[in-house]
Amino acid sequence: MLLPLLSAATLLLTPSLAVFQDEAFHIDYHFALLGAPKESTTFFHQPNPASKASLIYTLSEEGALGAVNPRDGSLVWRQLLQGQHQSNASFLRAGEGQDLVVSGSLNQVAAWSAEDGRLAWRTATDGVLRDVEILELSDGKEMVGAKDAVALSGSHGAQSSVVRLDGATGAVKWTYEFDGSDEAYQVSASSTHIYAILLHKTLLGYLRIRVVSLDPVTGKKIDEYMLSSENELATADTIVSVGANSASPIIAWTDAAHSTLKVNVVGSKAISSFTIDQHAGETVARVQVHAPYHINSLSHFLVHYETATSHWADVFHVDVNNGKVTKAYSLPKLAGKGAFSTSTSDANVYFTRITRDELSTVSSASHGILGRWPVTSFGVVSGIGEVIEPVHAVSEVSVKGDAVSAIRTVVLLSTGDWILLRGGTATWNRPEILASTVAATFAMPAEVEAFAERLQAEASSNPVSAYVQRLTRHIAELKDLPALLVSFPQRVVNGFLGTSEDDLASDNFGFHQIITCATRNGRMLALDAGNPNRILWNRQVADLKKEQAWNPRLASSKGGEVTINSQAGTGFRYNISNGEQLVSILPVDVEGDAKAAREVRFTMTDSALDATVDSKPAWHFSPASGQTIHSLVPRPVNDPVASIGKVLGDRRVLYKYLDPNLALLVTKSSLTLGPSNTATFYVLNTVSGAILHASTHNDIDLTSPIATLISENWLAYSFTSAASATAPKGQQLVIGELFESLVPNDRGPLTGNQNYSSTISTPEPYTLTHTYQIPEAISKLAVTRTKQGITSRQLLALLPDSGAIVGIPYNALNPRRPVGRDATKDEQAEGLLRYNPVLEFDPKWLLSHQREVLGLEEVVTSPALIESTSLVFAWGLDVFGTKISPSFSFDILGRDFNKFQMLGTVAALGVLTFVVAPLVTRKQVDQRWKFL
Amino acid sequence: MLSLSHLALLLCANLASAARLTVSIPPSPPLLPNPSTLPPSTHAVLVGPPGVHYDVPIRRDSTFVFPDVAEASYLLTLHSRDYFFPPLRVDVSKAADESQQQTIQAWQTFRGNEWDNKGPHYGSGKGELQLQIQPSGHKEFYQERGGFNIIGFVKSPMILMALVSAVMIFGMPYLMDNMDPETKAEFEEMQKSSPLTGSGGAANQIQNFDLAGWMAGKGTSSGSGASGGGNSKKR
Repeated sequence: MLLPLLSAATLLLTPSLAVFQDEAFHIDYHFALLGAPKESTTFFHQPNPASKASLIYTLSEEGALGAVNPRDGSLVWRQLLQGQHQSNASFLRAGEGQDLVVSGSLNQVAAWSAEDGRLAWRTATDGVLRDVEILELSDGKEMVGAKDAVALSGSHGAQSSVVRLDGATGAVKWTYEFDGSDEAYQVSASSTHIYAILLHKTLLGYLRIRVVSLDPVTGKKIDEYMLSSENELATADTIVSVGANSASPIIAWTDAAHSTLKVNVVGSKAISSFTIDQHAGETVARVQVHAPYHINSLSHFLVHYETATSHWADVFHVDVNNGKVTKAYSLPKLAGKGAFSTSTSDANVYFTRITRDELSTVSSASHGILGRWPVTSFGVVSGIGEVIEPVHAVSEVSVKGDAVSAIRTVVLLSTGDWILLRGGTATWNRPEILASTVAATFAMPAEVEAFAERLQAEASSNPVSAYVQRLTRHIAELKDLPALLVSFPQRVVNGFLGTSEDDLASDNFGFHQIITCATRNGRMLALDAGNPNRILWNRQVADLKKEQAWNPRLASSKGGEVTINSQAGTGFRYNISNGEQLVSILPVDVEGDAKAAREVRFTMTDSALDATVDSKPAWHFSPASGQTIHSLVPRPVNDPVASIGKVLGDRRVLYKYLDPNLALLVTKSSLTLGPSNTATFYVLNTVSGAILHASTHNDIDLTSPIATLISENWLAYSFTSAASATAPKGQQLVIGELFESLVPNDRGPLTGNQNYSSTISTPEPYTLTHTYQIPEAISKLAVTRTKQGITSRQLLALLPDSGAIVGIPYNALNPRRPVGRDATKDEQAEGLLRYNPVLEFDPKWLLSHQREVLGLEEVVTSPALIESTSLVFAWGLDVFGTKISPSFSFDILGRDFNKFQMLGTVAALGVLTFVVAPLVTRKQVDQRWKFL
Repeated sequence: MLSLSHLALLLCANLASAARLTVSIPPSPPLLPNPSTLPPSTHAVLVGPPGVHYDVPIRRDSTFVFPDVAEASYLLTLHSRDYFFPPLRVDVSKAADESQQQTIQAWQTFRGNEWDNKGPHYGSGKGELQLQIQPSGHKEFYQERGGFNIIGFVKSPMILMALVSAVMIFGMPYLMDNMDPETKAEFEEMQKSSPLTGSGGAANQIQNFDLAGWMAGKGTSSGSGASGGGNSKKR
């Protein structure tokens, strides 16, 4: 009981470097994202039957389920489902008038409260889910309570089954198992039957559609038949749609060449066949069916044809009595891509068409246009010359009489933005594309870097020439004086009101760095770290096929540009301020050859790490038997160190073991070779291959993340340890620091040496380590970086369990904290406290404070131009960024500097001077008279 | 809501073989009077032996349900945006014989202590266990900025001293003027004789201290000649 108290006490004593109330939400930014929404899992729905306002629900390609307020695009709630970007088979359904939304992914069917996103129930099925539907039984009487769900599941090669789940508890009401190993495809529910659609593989390799109808109440089979799809279906991809939950669900498919469309009304064996018009010899690339998703609505549906350059649509009517399908009318062919959405109002069905420049609504009954709105702009940025196309859309229409009185449409655009059009005007956009960021880097704008370089040059040259340079710079800047004078009053006002939104060019502190992000689908976009609400540009840089990975790596070698290396190609450079591709002629560096040091190449496999110098093998590392290499992190390339020693409280110095070629290598026992769960952490010299430090930990949970970091002369790693009777269970953070010698003022074997080469002799460091028990797992570690490395460091850790990013002051982790005794005076002067094995994360350390930052995977830091500040950017599902000053902002006036108070003080002093001046004069005169 | 939990109980009766753990957050004023205000991201994690890991989100009735927990020793942690919850140790152990259900037991545990160091017993059950966990604290994210505070400013001893001396300097002459002549004479007499302010008093000596003379090695007796120095110190 004493220990938690003690740890609380240490927390109070540690100088906590925290987020200030007035800075929170101003210096940090956060995009709470869902990822690109899927068309089939996006809809408007009232969170409870009583409310009038609806929310937009979506289950995205990233596996995030959430509700978005259509008024301003803000997130109401969200949940991360399992299987993030693994499979695209996930489902989201909402029964009409229900306060639940039902999701399905992998083998979990879950119902969530539509209002606040809390779980209502969750049930696991035997196989992988193929479809989930809500059972809307219209047997005359309204069902009491929650509507039941039907789930179709089936693993590959195993038996498929249908289960009916109770809508209130998720309990299984009945299960029906299919005979044979036909692949389960989809489930459809009409008012009287449940139809399961399975794909039967014929001997010739073609697919036939097998329909099994079940009784919704008992789960007994009523009927079963095969549709004669002949030799048209080779793969399931050409099955266009299986409508569900309508008065007459349909199955539609085409042949591989998209020349004929076949439609079957589920429940009848008749197949209607329609020829697809081949307009002007263009081949139809995609056929989609849009059908109302409502049991009481008219059974009309729309078929959307798409070629490479144009699109059109046909509307079909189904006669409910005899199951006959007839074509009603066509919507004209238009250039570019388009999107259609279906909405219902009572029994009527409306189709809304979104093209590049127009939004129009028609009734399913006739082709007369009920409403038409020109779309001038989608309100998003794109690449130069790129035409923004709608990808898919969902609308909510309200109709008065014969005209549409209001329409709201959420559209996913080809730029990856998700926007809402009210009528034809874009009201908000959510940059959902950022959720698929796979690489990101900071880059300094060219102007800022040029300015910084000039200042650097002035500072490092001799005084006379520096003075001349500064003078010429100031004279050159004189030409901006008129413009400055004009804008000056405005700037002063802005400065006082705190509304200054300075542009990139006048950024003297380096806060306005540009962050370029590469996304999984081959796009690249840029954000301004100082003004992140605006995306600067967004362009396609790689043409990828579906599910193709391109592993981009971004780097900024010099100001104003970013270089991208990927599987698509290396060395493509882009201008960061507008996204223009720079001509890819690499300048020949004349001195480059001379400079080029000998190159060391590393090849890492699971079982070995090889280094070659000048294509000759230099060294080889192989892990202990039964171990494989887990990860390797080197010291950051740009890792400035201000001081080569640590000054102790008594002014003596401990020398740091500094070597630019340090790397932290982790090996773990391979899971195939038995249950010995150990991991070994090695500090390597990457030039000589020498092992400088190694530590082994037993009983580690190797399935949980192992985060590692090495910087300056210290290393940190974190892991989860398994339970044993005598050792603590839970997550641990280990920190180690390398010194040349543990004797102050002594450099050990290096004493007196000016230079040394690690290939000739590697002096071994003295390593101090401390282990801390931490409250939750860390998925990634990073460290703050400042320009010169003078500022103390913070260890940044991503905490996936609490959705946060924490900045731990290095001093709280210092491996020199005294163990088993209180700190002496000298140690206290250094800020060292008695070691406590438990390190609680003070909520004040959370850089993300109140925000919930979900799904973060990576974090990068970048120095600002001023020494005190480091910029942080983290991505994954969400995107989060902030700037932090680990030693407080000592070189810049922060928000705590009260300008009004300062002015008030000056004014009060001025007034006081005027008031007191006559008094003083009188007194002086009086005194003269007295003395004389 | 009652019927819902009732049905959930029925469901659990069906799955008799699996150990079921239900953790609920009761209203615990003043810290958390209404647990339904907890955000939907609140979740509970059971960390077992390597590879065994359960993570469940909060339910509508502010509970966490682990429907099927395998036999092992677990660390139970609750993660919430705004509150701290104490970590628990949950053990699911084998039944004595085939017909019986597994035993679930829960204790408080302490971070940084060996695993066998158990705290208060939270409960035990056969095949099923219901726990209540109360939050141990509220998370304070923000550091208050030490702003300018006029009361605090005036309260500081430096300022108090300055104020008192200012009152003495400005108030004394008026006080002296308003005294009747007798008292005044008495007061002056008293001042002269007082060790601090009299002509031989310490204050006077310090005030009339002849620094130049002292540095030149002269005795202190001859001091008091410094004429102009007085006016600056009179202030």
